[in-house]
Amino acid sequence: MASRRLFLAGMAGALAAPSVARASGSMTAAIYPGTWDEAYREIVAPLLRQRHNVGVSFDPLFAVDQVAKVRAARGVSPFDCFVLDPGPAAAARQAGLFEPIDRRLISNAAKLPDGMLTADAATVNVQVVGICYNPKKFPEPPKSWTDLFRSPYVERLGLTGFQTTFGTVSLIEMAKAFGGSVDNIEPIFAKLREALPKVAAVATPAALPGLFQQGQIDIMYTNTNNAATLKARGVDIAFIAPTEGAITFATTLHIVKGAENKANAHRYIDVALSAEAQSKLQLSPYNMIPVNKDVQLTPNLDIKSLDELSKMVTHDWSVINPRRAAWIDRFNREITK
Amino acid sequence: MRTAAVDWRLVAPLGIVYLALFAAPLLLLLGISLHSDQDLQQWGLDNWVKFWSDAFYRGVVWDTLRLGLAAVLATSLFAWPLAVFFCASSARTQKILLFIILLPLLTSVVIRTFAWIVILAREGLINQAVLALGLSATPLRLLQTETGLILALMQIEMPLMLLPLISVMRGLDPNLLDASRALGAGHWRSFFRVILPLSLPGWIAGATLVFASACTAFISQSVIGGARLVYLPSLIWQQAMVVYDWPFAAVCSVTLLFTVLAGVMMLNWLGRYARTD
Repeated sequence: MASRRLFLAGMAGALAAPSVARASGSMTAAIYPGTWDEAYREIVAPLLRQRHNVGVSFDPLFAVDQVAKVRAARGVSPFDCFVLDPGPAAAARQAGLFEPIDRRLISNAAKLPDGMLTADAATVNVQVVGICYNPKKFPEPPKSWTDLFRSPYVERLGLTGFQTTFGTVSLIEMAKAFGGSVDNIEPIFAKLREALPKVAAVATPAALPGLFQQGQIDIMYTNTNNAATLKARGVDIAFIAPTEGAITFATTLHIVKGAENKANAHRYIDVALSAEAQSKLQLSPYNMIPVNKDVQLTPNLDIKSLDELSKMVTHDWSVINPRRAAWIDRFNREITK
Repeated sequence: MRTAAVDWRLVAPLGIVYLALFAAPLLLLLGISLHSDQDLQQWGLDNWVKFWSDAFYRGVVWDTLRLGLAAVLATSLFAWPLAVFFCASSARTQKILLFIILLPLLTSVVIRTFAWIVILAREGLINQAVLALGLSATPLRLLQTETGLILALMQIEMPLMLLPLISVMRGLDPNLLDASRALGAGHWRSFFRVILPLSLPGWIAGATLVFASACTAFISQSVIGGARLVYLPSLIWQQAMVVYDWPFAAVCSVTLLFTVLAGVMMLNWLGRYARTD
């Protein structure tokens, strides 16, 4: 089934190719270093060349660097396309760094769930955040955010702070589960203080997968991408959505204000959204949850259909951004030995 | 007059490269640190005041320097005996030893660091041995502690200490040691009265490298030390890359630069003192 879909998508691409092959040219897209860089060079760039004869060169930059670079350039866009997580995306929108996206130029627009293509943002991949645990050590998994702070789970928990998007939204949901809110984060800090002497590790986000693999921790809150990556390496890991609901957030592509190659940037976004690209990006080692409804989801993603996404918890980052620096500072102070 | 002109021209290429690639970015950094808002519009000392008036940040500076000192002490403790052993070994053994000493430099920092996770973790090598030997009923907590971090840094930074030490000690006249023995000094006395003072220049070079490198070992600090140990490098990263507060990150960077530099200068001063003694 999947292969036939792939084949049909490929055929559709091949048939469509001659009509647009004239649009040759080039463009530059910012991309996250590492997995994203590899994935987009490997999958999206060849498709863009094949379908539109457009060559894309990538500028590997973290989200804040992309925003900083465009700000520093003051009107002369250093690249044509952003790829951003919700926090930096909200900041860049506020700073007026986005060009509108013309829906008519995105042929895959109708294939996306509602709200994934907005006036200035195209969701190209979603992340789903919940609880990961070692099923060999815990046949009875923790079921809710509050369970994480109970014995026997808390003793095997790996904590991480507000540095990442997934860490921030998880801690917000935990605060809510303990009676707090985005405006009152106090309950989670009280719980963290209480849990500190017991937890297995307080780690930087990048170190979490390694600690899980080595058995230093058996429970962590993270995204399904990390779970799938570890599973592919043979680690005993399972993902569970907490009873309060899994969290989802989008990684979005945007066209940079005053971009030199607007037309090609639209083509790049369209290709990244195509079923052909998305069905490859969901496979290991990339494990990116697709957004195109034509894509048959692989089982390694821990989500069965895109309809699940609409029921998950989402956050308004224009509210989170102004508060985040204070949370990070507080986490530093209260967590430090 | 003429020679001075020639000298100046010889230095010019490297001087210009340094000026453009080293001094200019540093000045830029200093300039950024002198802004009081995140958009770099307002000049002011606010971020310097915020950093130095806060006991938490002063604590971070102190912890960073202390980590560097601990790494120097730990490497010294093991480097001197190893260097003595190295100099007393046959040429063949020296080759094998040299390879082992250089090994940490030949592997990437990420692999070295993850190797230490494998060794120090709850189910790691050390804990498996401790549990199997019945030395402890529960696994020891090594990862994410300062002790574990110093242990790892000791191995990672060891070549930086050993290589200068060995090169100086190899240059020592073996007759000095014979003379010391002939005059009735035992092994320990010969070490402390002859070898140690004469090898001090090598130690100072090594200590400088280890100190600077341990204070700034971002990956080892954050991966092995964990989030509960905050040092300046991780604070800089956090402020620059997550919080996006560049002026404050610049304050942290300049502080790291100058405090480490102060430590290095202190070691140099110690070296001059040692030589005139």
